[in-house]
Amino acid sequence: MVDLSQINKNQKVLIKQIHAQHTLKKRLYSLGLGVGKEIEVVETSLQKNTIKVALGFSSVALRFDEAKMIEVEAFA
Amino acid sequence: MKKIVIALVGQPNVGKSHLANAISGSNLKIGNFAGVTVEKATARLSTEDFSIEFIDLPGLYSLEDFSADEKVTKDFLLKGEYDLILNVIDSTNLERNLMLTTELMELQKKMVIALNMDDEAIKEGINIDSDAMSKILSLPCIRVSSKLKTNIELLVEKILDVTKNPLVEPKLIYSDEVEEQLQTIVRFLDDKHFRAPNGLTNRHIAVGLLWQKKDVYALMHEQPLYVELHPILNNALGHVYMYSQCDDIEEVINRQHTAFSAGLSAEVVSVSKSKNRNLTQKIDTILIHKLFGLPIFIFLMWGLFQLTFTLGEIPMGWIEDSFGWLGETIGMSITNEALKSLIVDGIIAGVGSVIMFLPNIMILFLGIALLETTGYMSRAAFLLDGFFHKFGLHGKSFVPLVTGFGCSVPAYMAARTLKNKKDRLLTMFIIGFMSCGARLPVYVLFAGAFFEESMAGNVLFGIYIVGALLGLIAAKILRVTAFKGEDEPFVMEMPKYRLPSLRLLWFVVYSKSIMYIKKAGTFILLASMLIWFISAYPKNSVIEAEYTTKIETLQAQLEEASSTQKDEAADEEKAIDEAKPTEEVAANSDVKEPASIENAITALENEKREKLVENTYLGIMGKAIEPAFAPLGFDWKMGVATLSGLAAKEVIVSTLGVLYSLGDKVSEDDNSLREIIASNMSIASAMAFIVFVMVYLPCLAATAVFAKEAESARYTVYLVIFTFATAWILAFITYNVILLFS
Repeated sequence: MVDLSQINKNQKVLIKQIHAQHTLKKRLYSLGLGVGKEIEVVETSLQKNTIKVALGFSSVALRFDEAKMIEVEAFA
Repeated sequence: MKKIVIALVGQPNVGKSHLANAISGSNLKIGNFAGVTVEKATARLSTEDFSIEFIDLPGLYSLEDFSADEKVTKDFLLKGEYDLILNVIDSTNLERNLMLTTELMELQKKMVIALNMDDEAIKEGINIDSDAMSKILSLPCIRVSSKLKTNIELLVEKILDVTKNPLVEPKLIYSDEVEEQLQTIVRFLDDKHFRAPNGLTNRHIAVGLLWQKKDVYALMHEQPLYVELHPILNNALGHVYMYSQCDDIEEVINRQHTAFSAGLSAEVVSVSKSKNRNLTQKIDTILIHKLFGLPIFIFLMWGLFQLTFTLGEIPMGWIEDSFGWLGETIGMSITNEALKSLIVDGIIAGVGSVIMFLPNIMILFLGIALLETTGYMSRAAFLLDGFFHKFGLHGKSFVPLVTGFGCSVPAYMAARTLKNKKDRLLTMFIIGFMSCGARLPVYVLFAGAFFEESMAGNVLFGIYIVGALLGLIAAKILRVTAFKGEDEPFVMEMPKYRLPSLRLLWFVVYSKSIMYIKKAGTFILLASMLIWFISAYPKNSVIEAEYTTKIETLQAQLEEASSTQKDEAADEEKAIDEAKPTEEVAANSDVKEPASIENAITALENEKREKLVENTYLGIMGKAIEPAFAPLGFDWKMGVATLSGLAAKEVIVSTLGVLYSLGDKVSEDDNSLREIIASNMSIASAMAFIVFVMVYLPCLAATAVFAKEAESARYTVYLVIFTFATAWILAFITYNVILLFS
């Protein structure tokens, strides 16, 4: 399984599944991180603590802990 | 005149407040919404026969109570009294905004959609067909721009129109499989001629049942037909689960809403070409850069601090002077001593010391409003989260903590930006470690008394840094003990960078300032009256009379000495006789110079004041608490100073001044107070005192704000215990360590 935390900067991926508990999952959904969405890793902070992804018209910041819960698939 | 209550709902950063501001012009007023931290903005429109009231609800991404803030909105939407929902949408991010809209549509309330930021959308080449959208949803959708004020009248017109007419059910269409199941349920209800008692349509009931909404279940469960309904519903749910290949209803709902939003968005949005859509990304490559991001952030914070304290200094002087002048003027016109003292020393001095900080507060709030409205706030949280997380804090904690260096009162309010209650409380607990501006006079006094002038500045800086570090350590300790539990996930939208509207900025600063004056002002007023009272009463007439006679005698002597200079020997004898009880006077009276007699009078006056204070409630309290402070090397005067510092930290300096018998007019750069303190205190107890002041409870005004913000008396008690205990222990350690080395 490939998760979002393993993706390099400027790489585009598709979200396959989200392995988070209920509330967090709902939050990720409502921020636009839904299954099947195309996202791009834009920036990571110095010690790989936080990660910024771009999706459609907005961007979302996550901790690496949360990024690990997002299963992705490299864009063909 | 009919009153219309409008609930402003939308995702964060869609410009809800800005829109309300644009609609109502300068008539917008913000007051506190009872009990919760929701701000109610009221606006009256004079052109119509209606008064429109806006409830500016906290922004939320979905109707899920993820955070305390969002729960407020959800509860209001479900239970509150309002006539209409004004759903504000960011036109440049329609699809995601529609996710919330779909949930709102299921509420069966009158609704109008404002497609805000139309100007920005046009710039980015995004065009929304609002007519088509209105038709698809059966809801009026209007493209507006709160910045350019386009279509605002049309929006108001539609709002009035929708309010006057009966509810038109919005059209929310689900996938074919779900629609099929809904139809089955609706048909069953129709066949049974079922009519919901509260006017809900059968379709709405079907949706509520399928989505497993508790209230709809409760309603239907009471109906006799539930027995027959039950198997149909069970079957429908089974089908839905099967089609969706998922047995979590929330996920099914979410997929339905996502599909609807995506479909609608594809239908009505046409994108010509992206012009400056990447501007935000470009700015971000610099501002959240791996290496430059943090230094830029630190520089910006430093700039804000400099502004707050240098720029704020100027009007502070004026305010101080005018309150001084006011006190003198009013003081002269009042003949009753007690009343004069209450008004001048109690009320004017007390309230003045709070109003004095208003310029700082305004600049600080302007800075914070800028951080918020431009979108930089979430970038700072992004940059700092890694570091803060190590100490158990959240990236967003930095705003309240930074604000805490100015004043704890706005800092506690700024902690609202934190969603999770535990994170918020944890942050609020350590705000006190960030030394507020009011403690500066104390530090200046002590640093000046015990260190060389060249070193004093560094000592001051050191005190601030040590305080902040202690705060981080305390956060870690609290996190693993009192505020244990799951970390709040760090998932945050990074909004677009936007230039804030000047009017909105002014509005925020203005309303915050008014609130500050009101809250702290009323409280400080009471607190200063209380402190004044316990430091002035009970009057001990015996001591007063005793010293007054002594002073009068000396004064008489002084007059004689300076005018006639006769009978010096007799005077001397007399002086010795009269002044026997006090050694200083006896010693001084050996010298016959008028100047020395004057000194003697001053000494007597100071002694009188000290004796008087010793016998007031404050003095009695000081004596009573002395044992508690003895292990820290504090005498009773220092103990009393810490207590009176609860009213406001600046009071510590003036209390010390009074108690160490210097007279009322004491300021932090009073050299003689420095000398007296340096000669009366050991360095060990002085350092312990600084540490104590650094850590213990912020003033009562701040504590009251804490109680209000924490919405819990229990945590307020914890805060008092925690800060006092920490301060005591740290001061004890400081005292003993210094004793050991000296």
